[in-house]
This record gives sequence, C-alpha cells and structure tokens, in this order.
Amino acid sequence: MSKDATSSRQALSLDGYAVALALVLALLVRLNLLPPIKW
Amino acid sequence: MERLIQPNKEIAMATSTTVVPSHSLTGFIGLGRRIAALIPGLLLLAAVGYAGKFIEQSIAAYTKAGHITFPNIEYVLWAIVLGLIIANTIGIPRIFQVGVATYDFWLKAGIVLLGSRFLLGDVLHLGGISLLLVAIAITLSLTFMHILGRAFRLKPKLTSLLAIGSSICGVSAIIAAKPAIDADDEDASYAIAAILALGAISLFTFPLIGHSLHLSDKAYGLWAGLAVDNTAEATAAGALYSDAAGKVAVLAKTTRNALIGFIVLGYALYWSSRGEAHAVGNKAAFLWSKFPKFILGFLLISLLATLGFFAKPQLASLANLSRWAFLLTFAGVGLRTSLRELGKQGWKPFAVGAIGELFIALLTLSLVYGADRYLHL
Repeated sequence: MSKDATSSRQALSLDGYAVALALVLALLVRLNLLPPIKW
Repeated sequence: MERLIQPNKEIAMATSTTVVPSHSLTGFIGLGRRIAALIPGLLLLAAVGYAGKFIEQSIAAYTKAGHITFPNIEYVLWAIVLGLIIANTIGIPRIFQVGVATYDFWLKAGIVLLGSRFLLGDVLHLGGISLLLVAIAITLSLTFMHILGRAFRLKPKLTSLLAIGSSICGVSAIIAAKPAIDADDEDASYAIAAILALGAISLFTFPLIGHSLHLSDKAYGLWAGLAVDNTAEATAAGALYSDAAGKVAVLAKTTRNALIGFIVLGYALYWSSRGEAHAVGNKAAFLWSKFPKFILGFLLISLLATLGFFAKPQLASLANLSRWAFLLTFAGVGLRTSLRELGKQGWKPFAVGAIGELFIALLTLSLVYGADRYLHL
C-alpha cells in the first residue's frame, strides 16, 4: 500500500516536472533565448 | 508486466532526489548518474521518432517527384510501427528501458505546450462540449461495463478497474484507482494489459473508420479523445487523422482526464462503504491528489497565448516544441508495447474490455454526430 502511495506521489511529481519544463521552454521562447524551433 | 505498465515509476526511480540529499556532493553525483541513465533510452526515442518523420518525408518527396498518387502515412504511424518491431523482435536492452519510460513525461510536457495553439475561448467552447459528452459517455459506459463484468463473472474489483480504465483515462486512471480501492496487483495488471491491447487496436482502426465516415477534423478529434483510453494512444489516434484532429483529440482527452479524481473518489467511497477498502479522509485533498496537474499548465499556456503574451513566430516555435515532444511519445508507445505480455492475459478481461470499448466507441460516435449537428462543433 505504502509502495503504491509512493509511486503515485512520484508520478505526480513527474507531472510537476513536465509542467515546469514546458513553462521554462515557453519562457525561453518568449525571451528569444531559443532559436526559432522548426518542424 | 510492471516494466510494461508503469513508466512513471521507472523515471521517478531514475530521477528521484529524495534518496540522497541534493545539497551534498554525493547527492549531485547521484542525481547526475540518474540523469545519465536516461540518456540511452532518450536517444533511442529520438532515433525511432525521427526515423518515422524521415520515412514520411521521404515517401512524400518520392511520390511527389514521380507524380505517384499515394496516401500520406503520418510519421506517427511509422514511429509506432518501428517501435513495435524493435520491442517485439530484438527487444529493449535494459540500458535503454529507463529512458524509454520517459515517453509519458514528454506527452505531458507536449500537452502543456500544445496549450499555445488554443485560445482560451476555444478551450472553453470545445472543452464545454467535451465535458457534456464525457459526462454522458462516462455514466453510460460505467453502467455497461458493470453489467458486462457481472455477465462474464469477473471479480468485482477487476470490473471496477476495467470500467474506470475504459471510461476515463486508461492506465493512469487504473494506477490512480488501484490503491484507492485496495485492488490486487494481478487485477490491475489484467486491466492495464486489456486497456493497452485495445488502445493499440484503436490506433489502427479509428483513422480508417473516421475516413470511411468522412468525419471532419473536429468531429474525428473529439471522437478519438472521448473513446480512446490512454492519453498517448488518443493523441496518436488523433494525429494519425490530421494535425487539427490531433489537437482536438488532446483537448477532449484532457477534459476526460480532469474527471479522474471524481470517479476514483466515487469508487473509493463505494468500496470503503462495503468495508473492502480504507476510508477516504479529506475528500478535497483526495481530489487534488488525483487531479492531473499538467492540465493546469495547459490552461496557463493557453491563457498566456490568448492574452497575446507570445508573438506569432513564438507561438509557432511553441507548437513545434510540442510536436517534438509528441514525436518522442509516439516512439515510446511502440517501444513499450510488448505483444507477448499483452497475449499473456486471460481472455475474459480482454473480452469484457473489447465489448465495452466497442460500446463506448459507438456511443461516443453517435454523441459526436449529435453534437456536430446540434451544438455546431
């Protein structure tokens, strides 16, 4: 049970990291610190 | 099975800083090692995803140069198929596994960045319609899954997990619900395997059905987002149809994901009232703990885009960053799908899941038709 709770908490913290990474990238783009991203 | 089903757990093990204090030198070395462990798998994700993109572009260039009429097969399908071939023939060596498991992380980062392609008004309009359809679909599909589970004499908690997985949010919902209703590991593994197998099937069938019914991008995207269980597969099924459909599929799926806490709470209260799960204390805290936080990031970026925080070229860069993140995700979907593991499950959970999915697909298709006609998507 506690193992499940731990892995669930870790999964949630990864959600946080994903959001943080996306927001940092968005900020870098906004400040023109990244070159234009092509596809 | 665990390796197949819990991507977050492995990444968490690789990146967790809780074991060693990060302020000490040992902590930094430990963190560095954990990050380094991700690199081989990340490179594999990038290689497979980029190979998919390269194949799509090469075929398009070849057919254009030769004036050959050939349907465009999206990089999404190539990346998934290449991943499936690698995973199910030579297999994924251990050194790559932790990095490959990050595909779920890239999916969430990609969804947040995708917020830049939506004005908040569109989110509210399409999200509102999705929410209405999701509420109807969830109510009917949960009821139907329980009737099916009883007819096939599945264990009640396995039926609950299958119902949650197929009507809400696939694997994440099952992982969230398992501790909340005190379900067995075996039941969770069965339910997850069934949902993954059905997700893989829907990747190949949904676009074909959508094209044969001449669905618009919005209608198809809404259908894929409402009917395909796992977020990665729903995103891929949408993107396989068109870029615009992929965008709508993500929005509809995200709306579905937002409801995960309420459904899991409902089940937790039901099973605890029967004395077969622990009691739920603070319900608001429970809901917050189960709420997918990346949805807030998506809304924030969408709000910023709506307020004009980003210039037009910057919006294009953010949209492309989101596409690159999804490219890693699609490669991971293929690389993490083990056909042998999926075949090991019993036929009953798969049959219940398959009949349920068919019901949900037809139900959501008719809902989308109705919404397209009366609510003007």
